[in-house]
Amino acid sequence: MKATAQLWVRLKVIDLVVQTAWITLTETMGFADDLRGMLRYAWWRFDADGTGAAAVSAAIDREIRMDSAFTNQNKHRYHLAVEAGDERIVTGDLDLDADLPGAAEGIFACDLLVTEKESGADAGYLERLGPRLGDVRLSGVRSGEVWRLLVRAKDQAEAAAKVEEMAVTRTRRHGLLVNPHYQGFALIRTAPSTGVTGES
Amino acid sequence: MAGRYKGVVAIIQFPGVNCEYETADAVRSVGLPAELFRWNEDPDLLAGAAAIVLPGGFSYQDRIRAGVVAAKDRIMDTISGLAREGCPVLGICNGAQVLVESGFIPGLHWERVDLALAPNVMADRDGYYCTWTWLRCERSPCLWTGAFAEGEVVPVPIAHAEGRFTTDDESVIEKMRANGQIVLRYCTPAGEIDPAFPVNPNGSVENIAGVCNPEGNVLAMMPHPERASWLRQVPEGLAGSWGRRRTSAACDPGKMEDAGPGRRIFESLGIRTGGVR
Repeated sequence: MKATAQLWVRLKVIDLVVQTAWITLTETMGFADDLRGMLRYAWWRFDADGTGAAAVSAAIDREIRMDSAFTNQNKHRYHLAVEAGDERIVTGDLDLDADLPGAAEGIFACDLLVTEKESGADAGYLERLGPRLGDVRLSGVRSGEVWRLLVRAKDQAEAAAKVEEMAVTRTRRHGLLVNPHYQGFALIRTAPSTGVTGES
Repeated sequence: MAGRYKGVVAIIQFPGVNCEYETADAVRSVGLPAELFRWNEDPDLLAGAAAIVLPGGFSYQDRIRAGVVAAKDRIMDTISGLAREGCPVLGICNGAQVLVESGFIPGLHWERVDLALAPNVMADRDGYYCTWTWLRCERSPCLWTGAFAEGEVVPVPIAHAEGRFTTDDESVIEKMRANGQIVLRYCTPAGEIDPAFPVNPNGSVENIAGVCNPEGNVLAMMPHPERASWLRQVPEGLAGSWGRRRTSAACDPGKMEDAGPGRRIFESLGIRTGGVR
């Protein structure tokens, strides 16, 4: 049975990259009124074949907890969601739906996935993890980084537009988090930060 | 004291750079005055600077993306204005990354980011790569290469993880080519352009090692000329005439202090400003 897994990993110690991005966006680039919270996750998607979601989840969860290329329990929290058919299994100590600093009415939580268009890293992850999953066959790995931006906006469309303006580097004065000449990006979630659960 | 750096080559010291002292030494080696300029000093002090150099290193620890945080820094507002007025500006390695993320390079539309210095793409390896490369100097309006003969080949070392010039807009490369903005290209010791690793050490489009703006006063280059400014910095046994010179100087300490191949970059500035010795 085909299964897809998403792994989200976040530092539980201070993330200095987020601190720098926050200061640059709010103090240097003038987004202090719009940007209310920010987090960063390492992200992977695994395409696998196994006997079901439980088997795939167990195999991947076991390995990513033991391999510091993915998680180091001393400094990371993680969220692993495996879907196969109608089954969905979530493991890990990170509740993505509750990971919303700055949540409030009128604040939208926006997840921006950033990937490299040309990277040898994914083949490396496949080579590293694939042989260790027992009966589960790993057919693909895609890695990236997710920026969760909590943005003040009147609706989802405005939130998405503000995220693009903050994130996508088009000129020296606009966009910080993505250089579209070598990075791909996708807004994978834009939702009110209160009263909503679930990944889109 | 506005204009304190008048007539001086200002080496911009962002937090995290680590090549500022040897870059200043290389500038001084051609008879030009050079001083470090901390990024948070009063930018008005830069008025009348002879040139601006953004040295190598890891500004802001390469957080988010190499060069991007420094590119947003307020000091770059001032450097942008000076560059537009014709002040010579050189970015070396991390400094080149800052200039690309600032949109000064290629500068087809000022401050629009038309290029990236992306992670290296190399055969059988990833990440940081440190080696000597050979650069071919192309015909260009660049004032920073005026001391080179067209087609001259020089060895200069690289040390970076994100040095691959790339763009998602092919017309940018065509315009750069038409304008003569592709100043330095990775080549063999004989000057042949081979797009494959290791001649092209990072997968740069067109083997690009250095790009100037259309006016020629701003140059972004990934190799480190300050690390090749004295003969003693050239390794013994390096292929080509510079390696032979270095090998023959091994028993002559006096010759070790002779100029190295990278010094031409700074000599070019000296010729332009009348300060070369």
